[in-house]
Amino acid sequence: MNSRILIDIHHRIYSCTKKMLKVPEHQVAGHIASDGKLGPLVDDQGRFFKPLQGDSRGEHEAKFYESFTSNKKVPYHIRRYFPVCHGTQLVEASDGSGKLPHLVLDDVVSVYSNPSVMDVKIGSRTWYLDVSEEYFKKCIKKDRQTTTVSLGFRVSGFKIFDHQESSFWRAEKKLVLGYNADGARLALRKFVSSNSPADSNLTPNCAFASEVYGGSNGILAQLLELKDWFEIQTLYHFNSCSILMIYENESILMKEGDDAPEARAEVKLVDFAHVLDGNGVIDHNFLGGLCSFIKFIKDILQSVDKRDETDTSLLENGR
Amino acid sequence: MQLKAPEHQVAGHIAKDGKPGPLVDDKGRFFKPLQGDSRGEIEVKFYESFSSNTEVPEHIRRYFPVYHGTQAVEGSDGAAMIVLENLLADFSKPSVMDVKMGTRTWYPEASEEYIQKCLKKDTGTTTVSAGFRISGFEVFDHKESSFWKPERKLLRGLNVDGARLTLRKFVSSNSLSDIGSKPDSAFASSVYGSSHGILTQLLELKNWFENQTLYHFNSCSILMVYENESILKGNDDDDARPQVKLVDFAHVLDGNGVIDHNFLGGLCSFINFIRDILQSPNESAES
Repeated sequence: MNSRILIDIHHRIYSCTKKMLKVPEHQVAGHIASDGKLGPLVDDQGRFFKPLQGDSRGEHEAKFYESFTSNKKVPYHIRRYFPVCHGTQLVEASDGSGKLPHLVLDDVVSVYSNPSVMDVKIGSRTWYLDVSEEYFKKCIKKDRQTTTVSLGFRVSGFKIFDHQESSFWRAEKKLVLGYNADGARLALRKFVSSNSPADSNLTPNCAFASEVYGGSNGILAQLLELKDWFEIQTLYHFNSCSILMIYENESILMKEGDDAPEARAEVKLVDFAHVLDGNGVIDHNFLGGLCSFIKFIKDILQSVDKRDETDTSLLENGR
Repeated sequence: MQLKAPEHQVAGHIAKDGKPGPLVDDKGRFFKPLQGDSRGEIEVKFYESFSSNTEVPEHIRRYFPVYHGTQAVEGSDGAAMIVLENLLADFSKPSVMDVKMGTRTWYPEASEEYIQKCLKKDTGTTTVSAGFRISGFEVFDHKESSFWKPERKLLRGLNVDGARLTLRKFVSSNSLSDIGSKPDSAFASSVYGSSHGILTQLLELKNWFENQTLYHFNSCSILMVYENESILKGNDDDDARPQVKLVDFAHVLDGNGVIDHNFLGGLCSFINFIRDILQSPNESAES
């Protein structure tokens, strides 16, 4: 698609709708509205517009949000892990195909200035009963090729704000999907490191591990709260859902004194195109994967603690 | 040494068509024939590793049968057998249930043929939907003064509601062979719910599984056993002596630094089913 058409589409998006809509900067996985493809858009008021895809997945996701938003059985403290939905709206689509229904969500990254983001698909299988043979085969192939079967989760994508370059570094999609257990471990360490992500020879220093993963409001604490809920909730089965981890990378390095801004690490569940009713059974697929993911995070924190202890004792011994 | 076929096998291999089956002696030992195609070897390897593994916490060992090595036994064509603790030796009228744990029974290292076979069975049973499936059970029926065992076919076709019903039946005192009667779950609180009951034991196992990266218990079962006779006699709750044991280690692999998320997910789901029964003992099926 040539640049003249692209300019034309952008002009139409900006002029036809009252909002300024643009392609979100921080998508790490899923469809991306680039080169005239259909994908999500954001406005300048913290809203995220997700096009309702064909083949009923979009409708399905909208139905989930509708149910979830009004479901009294969802405990209040769990709602923070889900994006807020504002229904659907007709919006000029990113591929120039005209006004299409879009799901209107709060943009979970809009409150950050330079967020580091990672998308992790949770569960030891992404397929479920009653899907087509084709879909089942596609899913299980991917599940077996990635860490889904072996670890109960797979990293779908991530990006880090690189301070040295003052720009974002994005992990290569093909590499990410080819991760084995060690690759996933390394990615989780890289995600909270301050040394250059572009240099593959550097051992990630996990400089931000305690602040982002640890602490009373860190990622681990949030995951444990989610785990407690998943041990008993039989409302929904979150097939093929992702956990998004977000934190403000910029502020940690600028930290000086007690009033410095925090990492504000957040866990969000996203992508509900394949959610089904729980029917009285817990989401054991998601829960198993979540527990495995929690162990990976715990291991990183423990290794960082050990390293810090060793460093301290070395200092104390005058070395 | 007096050896005979065990009375209460609820699942797994039995002596059939000239193939050796398990045996028990009168000294509390259980003799399991080594299965062909390396499965027997894997099971032996597991027991040997487990018995000497210092990373296994002491309080977790009670959930595993005690291992007494291997032995060639008369009448089994000199084939070696795994010698284990007979888990039912201390019971007079045990009710037993075998539950295969995990949302899948296959694992990536298995052959493609095996994986396909397992997948088919998993999707056709409650393994995929509930994270576990009931392989077999036997209950002591006081009215008949005999043991009642359902047909294996019946169990294979069980759906989630059926599994729930079966778990209630397991702890009921009213007639089991009558399909129409609602199980009374009379023993639920003494078997599932007491302070040393099934639920407490499962929760202790769950805590271990959240952290242990030693073994992946593919295709393993949880055996639930209790003494049915004493409860009706009106003795203390403790006399039901409910026990949880892990059995069948022919497909156990190294954990390699990863928790057994497959077993754990299924275990959590199973725990929820037991909890539901304890919370609502008078319902025969959740809607």
